[in-house]
Amino acid sequence: MPVALLASAVVEGRVELPKSHSAPVQAKRYEIVTRAGVLSTQPPLAVVYLEGVSSRPVSLSTKEVAQKDLTFIPALLPIQVGTKVAFPNFDDTYHNIFSYSPAKRFDLGRYRPEERPVPTQVFDKPGLVTLRCDIHEHMRGLILVLNTPYFVMTDTEGHFRLSGLPAGRYTLKAWIDSRTTREKPIELRNGQTLHIDFP
Amino acid sequence: MSAQRNESVASFRARLFTAIMIIVATLMALGLYLAQRKVAADAEQNLQQNFQAELSSLHRLEELRNTALAERCNKLAAKPRIHAAIEDDALDLLYPSAKDELRDLMEGEEPPPQRAAEWLHARFYRFLDSTGAVIKPPNTYEVGQLDTQTEAQLSLNELPETQQIGYIEENAGAGGGALDEVIASPIFSTETGDVISALVIGFTPLELGEKHTDVAMKSGVWVNGQLYLPSFPLSTQASLSEKIANAIGSSDREQDNFRINVDGASQLLFYKRLNPGSLFPPAYRIYVYPLAYSMAQLRRLRWQIGGAGALLLLGGFVASHLVARRFSAPVQKLALDSEENRAQRRRAEAALASTAQELERSSRYSADASHQLKSPVTVLRVCLEALLAREGFKPEVYEQLSVMLHQTHRLTGVIDDLLLLSRMDAGHLQIASTPVNLSQIVDEWLDDLSALPDSPDVKIEKEFAANLFVAGEKRYTSLIVQNLLENARKYNRSGGRIRVSAHGKASDVVLTIGNTGRTIPSDENIFERFHHRSTPSAVSGHGIGLNLARELARLHGGDLRLIRSGDDWTEFEVRFRAADSVNGAA
Repeated sequence: MPVALLASAVVEGRVELPKSHSAPVQAKRYEIVTRAGVLSTQPPLAVVYLEGVSSRPVSLSTKEVAQKDLTFIPALLPIQVGTKVAFPNFDDTYHNIFSYSPAKRFDLGRYRPEERPVPTQVFDKPGLVTLRCDIHEHMRGLILVLNTPYFVMTDTEGHFRLSGLPAGRYTLKAWIDSRTTREKPIELRNGQTLHIDFP
Repeated sequence: MSAQRNESVASFRARLFTAIMIIVATLMALGLYLAQRKVAADAEQNLQQNFQAELSSLHRLEELRNTALAERCNKLAAKPRIHAAIEDDALDLLYPSAKDELRDLMEGEEPPPQRAAEWLHARFYRFLDSTGAVIKPPNTYEVGQLDTQTEAQLSLNELPETQQIGYIEENAGAGGGALDEVIASPIFSTETGDVISALVIGFTPLELGEKHTDVAMKSGVWVNGQLYLPSFPLSTQASLSEKIANAIGSSDREQDNFRINVDGASQLLFYKRLNPGSLFPPAYRIYVYPLAYSMAQLRRLRWQIGGAGALLLLGGFVASHLVARRFSAPVQKLALDSEENRAQRRRAEAALASTAQELERSSRYSADASHQLKSPVTVLRVCLEALLAREGFKPEVYEQLSVMLHQTHRLTGVIDDLLLLSRMDAGHLQIASTPVNLSQIVDEWLDDLSALPDSPDVKIEKEFAANLFVAGEKRYTSLIVQNLLENARKYNRSGGRIRVSAHGKASDVVLTIGNTGRTIPSDENIFERFHHRSTPSAVSGHGIGLNLARELARLHGGDLRLIRSGDDWTEFEVRFRAADSVNGAA
């Protein structure tokens, strides 16, 4: 495991999240909202990721965006480019998941919960993909396709911790909503823990 | 005379007739004018109502269609794919996504005009992006072919919040291009409620079927300075278009009407804004009604009124003739009567003039005569007095001379009286009023009376206070008293009596002179000038004494009257004005 040993830097810190005006919600349950054409999570969450890492072939596990109670779970899914995502239907009704986003256009067609195989898509282009259901127009999901294996979602307070990072000069980015991504250049050293805050 | 009268009556009749004719003609002209105005106003109002009815039925159809369209747009906006295409920057997928939803709009036959609303059949549709610009369709054949110029007309400056109606010309510039009605309906985001796009659908303009048009009405649309009214030739459309542009430009009213002339025929043109407040260029619905029908109606009415007027005029002629005759009869009579009156008056005036002349002549004659007489009598008297003064005549001669002298004195008195009367008649006599002692005058005359040689044996009774003053001229007051006393003596009987009484009574002094003797019959007017008693008498007067006395009394503001005559007693009363009243008045 020399690679693992090499990648031993850590970045932690806090992202200043937009104020949430809604009542506190249970952990892990959040949804996508549109405000003035901007998609974000509610309550606000951010995705912090390290960009500039030379890609390396990895065997990626299949991720999942389920449809349950006419919502996407999770509502926001950050993935590495090339990841396959399954869209299982746990509702008692048809769903028709599709995306017109430039990063990934697809249309799964109508399918029922018991239909097998579960429809999947491989996201091979970085960018934000908006998931919609042709049958339930209110359903929104986001898949953030990132050109890096190093990313993490903050908690509702905005705290994050990225560990096992390789040493080097990179850009640390914080995705806050569909229109806002903050970034900071960083230099990582092995065994060092860097503290970065996004105001 | 009668010819003149007839002529004046005839002229009166002619004038009356003329007046009636003028009134009838004026009334007729007024009636004609009012009726014509009313007909014109009615016709205009009818057309206006027609126009409004057409418009409102069209409007109802449009409402139906527009509501259906709005619903369609809402449904469209609710479609996640259309939402996704617009929101997720996938405009190229917009038309394909909408294709299924809008397929029915583009398919099938063009519906009959009456069913255009329920059977939405579009000629084309386009989407607008967030700036209001047309989103180019990937292929035009599913969304309706439009040339670039026409397509550009669909763009708006901003996305509309409400449905916008507009009119655009396809193949513009070629002249006589087809007109399309376009409706831009906003597409609202189902999440934010914002307008994210708009669907613009083009239709063949709604037209009402010919069934509504009982008059040969023509309808069209005016937009962007151009008129689309296919029933008119292009040149007419162009000139009309200019007039409409002027009318719309000169007033900010959304609807109005005015008269136009097309090929020599009068027409009424109505216009009304089709798309008030629209983001598309203003468009106006134009209706042109030929006025031939209402003109014909007007002509008919004019004939009717003219005919009625002619009848009225005829009736008026007859009536005025009759009325003139009826009226002129009393006028004629009046004229006749007045003619007679005039003649009578002329006669009376002539008589009066001659009487006045006679009177003047007679009074002048009296005056002349008196003057002519006075001188010879004076000469006679002087001669007689001279003769009496001579000696050597027999005594009877002296007696006769004395009688003659006495007669000349009488003659002088008569002449003086006559002179006085004539002066009074001529109105020349002026009274210089002073206080006159009536008591003294009466006393003096009574003394004189008793001193007269031929006095009969009469007893004199006096009943008056001394110093009773009356207003007057002493000469004339004395003359009145003298006249009355002389009469009382003259007409007395022997052994009779004379009673003279005087007393003040209010502002007057009343002198009463009574005497015994023969009485005066009641039918005799003793105050008449030159009056002579009907019954022969021993004594005689010249007949002017009483008349003179009364005239003088009246001249002094009093009077003389006979108050009693009978039973051997005759009594005169003279009323003088008391001197106090004169003094008081002065």
